[in-house]
Amino acid sequence: MAQVTNWIEHLTTDVDAATEGVQVADIYPMVGLEWMWLTVAIVFWLWFHVSTGTSEAEEQQKLARKRPSANDYKKNIAEW
Amino acid sequence: MTDELGALTTIFTEFYYWITVVLMFLIHVGFCMYEVGASRYKHHQHTLMKNTLLIPLVTVTWFFFGWWIYWAFPTGPGLAPSIMNESAALITDDSLFSAKWYVATSNLMAVNLGDHISGVFWAAFLLFSWTAASIVSGAIIERITTFAFGILAIAIGSVFWTIDAAWGWHFDGWMLKLLGYHDAYASGVIHAIAGGFALGVLAVLGPRIGKFSSSGEPRNIGPRNPWLVCIGLFLIYTGFWGFYAACNIPIFDLGPEYGMEGTTFYTATSIYVTPTTLSGITFNFLMSLSGGLLAGYWVSKGDPFWTYSGGLAGIITASAGNDLYHPLQSMMIAAVGTYIAYKMHYWVERRFKIDDAVGAVAVHGYAGVVGLVICGFVLWGYPSSGYSVGSMWVGTDYAPINPLGMIIGAIIMFGVLGFLPGYILAKILHAAGKLRIPREVEIAGLDYNIMESARKDERSVG
Repeated sequence: MAQVTNWIEHLTTDVDAATEGVQVADIYPMVGLEWMWLTVAIVFWLWFHVSTGTSEAEEQQKLARKRPSANDYKKNIAEW
Repeated sequence: MTDELGALTTIFTEFYYWITVVLMFLIHVGFCMYEVGASRYKHHQHTLMKNTLLIPLVTVTWFFFGWWIYWAFPTGPGLAPSIMNESAALITDDSLFSAKWYVATSNLMAVNLGDHISGVFWAAFLLFSWTAASIVSGAIIERITTFAFGILAIAIGSVFWTIDAAWGWHFDGWMLKLLGYHDAYASGVIHAIAGGFALGVLAVLGPRIGKFSSSGEPRNIGPRNPWLVCIGLFLIYTGFWGFYAACNIPIFDLGPEYGMEGTTFYTATSIYVTPTTLSGITFNFLMSLSGGLLAGYWVSKGDPFWTYSGGLAGIITASAGNDLYHPLQSMMIAAVGTYIAYKMHYWVERRFKIDDAVGAVAVHGYAGVVGLVICGFVLWGYPSSGYSVGSMWVGTDYAPINPLGMIIGAIIMFGVLGFLPGYILAKILHAAGKLRIPREVEIAGLDYNIMESARKDERSVG
């Protein structure tokens, strides 16, 4: 998992010599598996839209059926 | 970074952009306060959540594809060749500033000891994206679904403004080369496009219930909390300092960059890599703010909302050329833009029954367009780039700044990339029944259920 196991060895090689030595500039874990993380993130992102969009519509339909008047909200002003 | 001077320049640039991001965060804080202050009590919490949600939605899509679009699209594609690879295709090859390096899986889009700039530069542009989406958010309060706004925010924040930035803001953008387009602090690139997009959405969304009488006369609604609105606008001014600084490159040696071998000229530059100074734009920022405030106060007869909005409209009008204007020019240009934006707001409202709840189309859209047009006249003949300045329409070099190019540029920003996509997307969402909240909910208030639940909690606590 670890991309870096020894900072001393890692930092003693010049960045410009990255291809020649042990220098690794990208130091996050699991380098090479970025596509996997991206796929998971996109699935999560799409799920968020579908899920929140559906629940928003349901909640508003429920409220619309109750048909409160324009001033009914004033009865619900909490005075904590 | 193996020598001290190189390291200092790099770390200074990294820190410079980082600070601009922090400052620009205040723009969003300001927008949230401003919108909530302008909305009615029964819509407050949903209004806040709508504007807050654009932060994650635009951020993740900016990471997924927005940043890639900026680096890929300067050529159009197909409109003018890149100065990096002489191809008019999307820039996805191995060029130094290629989109290839900015796909979401690139190792430059992460912690990388070989790269101190990508993340802060990405974030600075991301904050511009939030601003673009937030401008739209204010105009459409109290009647749009959060779902629809999320889609629209992603469209303007991570797609359309990004395309216009690639075309008209990138040093390799085709609009610079063919049109001589110049927009140093984003009169058009962010403000005109966002204003145009908001107008497109508003044309489909329609006004808030009660905004117009049965005879079509507009009625004034709110703001519920003028203090919150004014403090919000003050915070937007504050964040604008970061916005201006983020549009500059803080330290650059233009000699070799412009092909002048042996010449060294370190300076701050505009986004176009043309010389300016942070000191000079500080003059212009404050003078354009003042011109806008004075004009806003005068034209609105001392209305606080329009006086503050006038300050913002003034900065936005002068922004296109604020890297080069004299401060007095900047002030007068700001005043003209503010006056026109105010008059246009009420004319459009009355004529087309457009309910722009916070005047966003006027302050950002109309002022931005006016700023672009004026810039074309005042800076007529200035080079739009330091690279190989030539004739208009050639495409292999850069046209100088000129009125016709700037007018066409304004039409592209406000109309082609702003109004049209906003209108079409809103039509699609409307056809799917996802754009507008039910009439009963709008009358009851978006927060009705939350308030009812809070009241029950209060009673149960006793």
